[in-house]
Amino acid sequence: MQKIKSILLNLIFFIQVLLIFLLLFDDRIELPVWLQVVGRLHPALLHLPIGLLVFLVVLLLARNEFKKKAFNKIMLVALLLTSFTATVTALFGFFLSRQGDYGPDALIQHKISGTVLSLLCYGLLLVFVRQEKSRSLFYGLGLLTVGSMFFAGHTGGALTHGENYVFAPLSNSNDPVADADASVFQRAVFPILEKKCISCHNEKKAKGKFVMTSVTEFKKGGKHGKEWEEGKPENSRMIRYIHLPLEDDDHMPPDGKPQLSMLEMTMLETWIRAGADFEKKLTDLKDGDSLKIMASALIALKTNHLNEKTYEFSSAPEAVIGKLNTPFRSVFPLYQNSPALQADFFIKESFASSSLEELKEIKDQLVVLNLSKMPVIDKDLTVIGSFKNLEKINLNFSKINGTGLSSLQGLKKLNSLSLAGTDITSESLKPVLVLPALKELFVWNTTITEEQRAKLEARYPGIAIRTSQFKEDKTLRLGRPLLVNEGVVKGGEPVVLKHSMPGVTIRYTLDGPNPDSVASRVYDAAFHLLVSTKIKAIACKSGWYCSEVFETTCFVEGQRPLHVELLTAPDKQYPGEGPKSLTDGRKGFTDVFKEPSWLGYRDQPFAAGFDFGPNPETINSIVISYGRSIGSYIFPPAEVEVWGGKSLKEIKLIKALKIEQPVKNEPQRIEALTIPLETSSYSYYKLIARPVDKLPTWHSGKGKKGWVMVDEVFFY
Amino acid sequence: MGNEFLKNRFHVTRRHFLGKLGLGFGSVALGSLLMPDLFSGKAELSQGVGLPHFAPKAKRIIYLFQNGAPSQLESFDYKPLLTKMAGEELPASIRMGQRLTGMTSGQKKFPLVGSHFKFQQYGKSGAWVSEMFPNIAKVVDDICIIKSMHTEAINHDPALTFMQTGAQQGNRPSMGAWLSYGLGSENKNLPAYCVLLSRGRGNGQGVYSKLWTNGFLDSIHQGVQFSSSEERVLYLKDPQGRDRADSRKMLDNLAQLNDMNYKEFGDPEIQTRIQQYEMAYRMQTAVPELTDLTHEPDNIIKMYGADCLAPGTYAANCLLARKLSEAGVRFVQLYHQGWDQHGNIVGEMPLQAQDVDRATAALIMDLKQRGLLEETLVIWGGEFGRTNYCQGDLSKDNYGRDHHPRCYTIWMAGGGVKPGMVYGESDEFGYNIVRDPVHVNDFHATVLHLMGLHHEQLNFKHLGRRYRLTDVAGKVVNGILV
Repeated sequence: MQKIKSILLNLIFFIQVLLIFLLLFDDRIELPVWLQVVGRLHPALLHLPIGLLVFLVVLLLARNEFKKKAFNKIMLVALLLTSFTATVTALFGFFLSRQGDYGPDALIQHKISGTVLSLLCYGLLLVFVRQEKSRSLFYGLGLLTVGSMFFAGHTGGALTHGENYVFAPLSNSNDPVADADASVFQRAVFPILEKKCISCHNEKKAKGKFVMTSVTEFKKGGKHGKEWEEGKPENSRMIRYIHLPLEDDDHMPPDGKPQLSMLEMTMLETWIRAGADFEKKLTDLKDGDSLKIMASALIALKTNHLNEKTYEFSSAPEAVIGKLNTPFRSVFPLYQNSPALQADFFIKESFASSSLEELKEIKDQLVVLNLSKMPVIDKDLTVIGSFKNLEKINLNFSKINGTGLSSLQGLKKLNSLSLAGTDITSESLKPVLVLPALKELFVWNTTITEEQRAKLEARYPGIAIRTSQFKEDKTLRLGRPLLVNEGVVKGGEPVVLKHSMPGVTIRYTLDGPNPDSVASRVYDAAFHLLVSTKIKAIACKSGWYCSEVFETTCFVEGQRPLHVELLTAPDKQYPGEGPKSLTDGRKGFTDVFKEPSWLGYRDQPFAAGFDFGPNPETINSIVISYGRSIGSYIFPPAEVEVWGGKSLKEIKLIKALKIEQPVKNEPQRIEALTIPLETSSYSYYKLIARPVDKLPTWHSGKGKKGWVMVDEVFFY
Repeated sequence: MGNEFLKNRFHVTRRHFLGKLGLGFGSVALGSLLMPDLFSGKAELSQGVGLPHFAPKAKRIIYLFQNGAPSQLESFDYKPLLTKMAGEELPASIRMGQRLTGMTSGQKKFPLVGSHFKFQQYGKSGAWVSEMFPNIAKVVDDICIIKSMHTEAINHDPALTFMQTGAQQGNRPSMGAWLSYGLGSENKNLPAYCVLLSRGRGNGQGVYSKLWTNGFLDSIHQGVQFSSSEERVLYLKDPQGRDRADSRKMLDNLAQLNDMNYKEFGDPEIQTRIQQYEMAYRMQTAVPELTDLTHEPDNIIKMYGADCLAPGTYAANCLLARKLSEAGVRFVQLYHQGWDQHGNIVGEMPLQAQDVDRATAALIMDLKQRGLLEETLVIWGGEFGRTNYCQGDLSKDNYGRDHHPRCYTIWMAGGGVKPGMVYGESDEFGYNIVRDPVHVNDFHATVLHLMGLHHEQLNFKHLGRRYRLTDVAGKVVNGILV
């Protein structure tokens, strides 16, 4: 006896520790199958400790019938057995809890109460074994144990049979929400009342004498009479009270009680507005009926957890999925632990029919297939047709013409098919239009006309055939063309104009007036420029207005002097890189002048010398590249002089120009100032550019000195 | 005497103690056999990073961020009372002690001012839209307008950072990075998170790379900023004199070296680097195809407006966003600057609206006609709202509005959000929320939910605690879900 007692005591202690450990790490535990079987014994086993506890109570009540020694022995055995069975039951219960879909709250309650019960039984046993003298401790503990047995039993019952199981036959509330045969009132209206109102408006409590538990009472109303009026929610007291501010004494449900959600409020209103009918079913209502929409939304919300899609097929092996993944083909489950797979293809150059065929390994699991922009041809559709669980296929901008669509006839679950931008015809769609599950078909940017689409949609009313929603015939203006070359163009480098829109005609002029859409030269190939030239270009296309004029100066590399010197120092703020800046072939920014490309002059004129050595080539023109930023006082030079000769000392004035000045503010830009020369071949040229002495009266800086900014000088 | 008994009861011999201890350990050990991941060290990863937790509604996101905070009162939240009460002082009962920015804290008066622009109801939903957004008005039945957003920050940087990362300080991963971390990349030839910038003609506020940072997540989750120039991804072309085969050879050898380094130091960033090189190599094929607009049908260009052919415009970014998203990029983030109208709403806001209205609506229609809208979540909105009173001088034909965190409007479309819906409501003054408030944390929780992620489960352990995009708050806004 002593030995058995010791073994049992130790075993119980062992299981108790195990139990607490399992509870603590609940969410990280996974059960082997055989333990699941053990877990299922819980509902059978649990009757033992209950019975034994009852037996103990009876034993205690009848203790005077026994001799003390015998009584103690029986007590010990009974207590040992109670504690042991309670502990084992709790452990098995834990195993069971890992397999069922139990509501989390009820489950936690039962887990805790069950564990507490087994602990209390163990405590009771210990108190007895240690021959604790205090009777009140033993009896107190005993009472607690019996109490917790009731609680654990109740929560367990609620878990298995559902909340309120015992009293359910009296309240007659089998869940009507999911029952399609029940009326709209039962499915969508009554559950709201039940949840938010009935706790105060029932036969027992009947606040305001208004009872909502039965239809007759609900129709009768409360102490003020009818609480609602068919078709007129605005005249219904019930609705008015719901909308009162929360602080108002009449607001329902009262402050502190669970409030109605927006959806629930609207539901009640809609139901009353629709005539407060108690009989109509959802199926009796027309599509688009506001009551139907509201009720469906509410029912969907309630039964949402049931709507999670389940698939009948089993998962593909992970190794197979892993193998099918390449940089150009992604295969992945729709979500964690879902057997359903999606396959996406990328980079059309890497696509081959064989890469589609390889998916046959997962033909049962493939549910979504994305082949957008892949060069899929009609022949490949036979492969796709063998993936019988497909629900969604994207073939937008693939190379099919529709002749192979009949291969998809076996796809009984296909509900969305995208064929935008393909060569399909209205005729070729027929085989897919009869697919039983098809809901949406995308045929934008195909040969299918609006007329054909309307016809098909009328013939197959269950299918939404989608084209573009964009219907605007307003003519729009094209964007401007662009010059592709950047910076200074090297001699011999072709000059390229560009427009991103396919099919446009670019027309341009060189150092000429604005181009027009008829007479100006058409840009059909890159051209060459020998000197810096102003290019003006427009883009035109039928169905569009021609673009605004694109205007830029294309700077072309000229003859390089052997040596450059600055004869006047630039302003300290804009020193550039000294004389080097003028011939380094690097253009400045249009809007930032404090950078190495730009030389700036204000208090004295720009003056620089260019030395071409003893054997100079002929020079026909000089181009000064200068900045214009009128708002920042950066103007074209007022006057320009060109001097030529053998050297700086033997030199004469060969050209002087007055430069035309702007008459209003204009956008920032870099401009070429071209100075044509009579053919000359001097060894040394000197350039002078004088800043504007007084800015014009229309300018905000009138009367002040202007700036001259130079970034480059070219000789041709 | 009783004391002796008590002592005796507590008296436990060492042998007895160790015996019991052994028993206890034994049971813990037995229990631990049921925890397959206990000693594998993979417990944290086993949260299933890389796949949605449940069936997602949206697979990709395009976030059209209107940087600078467009005024809700001139766009979607119509408040005729403000026009009626124009010039009158904001009642203290409405302001309720709301703090002010440094820009209006010195202002003596807070005169209410209504929208200069007319409103009208559109679509089946009858939502109010201002005349500045005629094209968005046309797709109003496809979008869900949330008029009850609210935030905690009152200045641009913290508000923007809050909206993007769920914290105001700027050291946390941004939304796109979290999604890249949680869901991975659909297309391995492109980054999972791309960022496109454009600038409007209104008063602008900066954007900076901390808004698309990976924070403490692996750097592979960082947003990749596309250039606004002709060449959208810089340095992608092979340099002169080197072809693709050379690049391949170079990368193979480099990967070997990096691998040796990895074996020696075990730094996961080395692996990231190898992967990034590989992706860049593949991007050489993937990106030119994306940035080439010459294969777009004519009516696409018309729909987005001719601006979409000029790189760096909002319209071009919308079109590129559609192409990226179509190619499986998980999160495309646009920022359009220029919405900070402290003054001159009348002059600047129409220009801003003109730049975004057409292309935004085009994006919705374009996704729809391709069958992509239902799996792509489009979000449009700024970092906070604007005040219902005038900042600066209120003249007859112009006014400005200061920052307002208590109530503002954004909208979403596609990806499992109810179309043609207006959610939440502000009071008649457009100042406080009276129904269904949506906090920034709630917004994040909802976006993650649409992508099939539990916001409380998508977390990352850093500096001793687990972080989430929603930190310690956030409730999914069930009312806007399909």
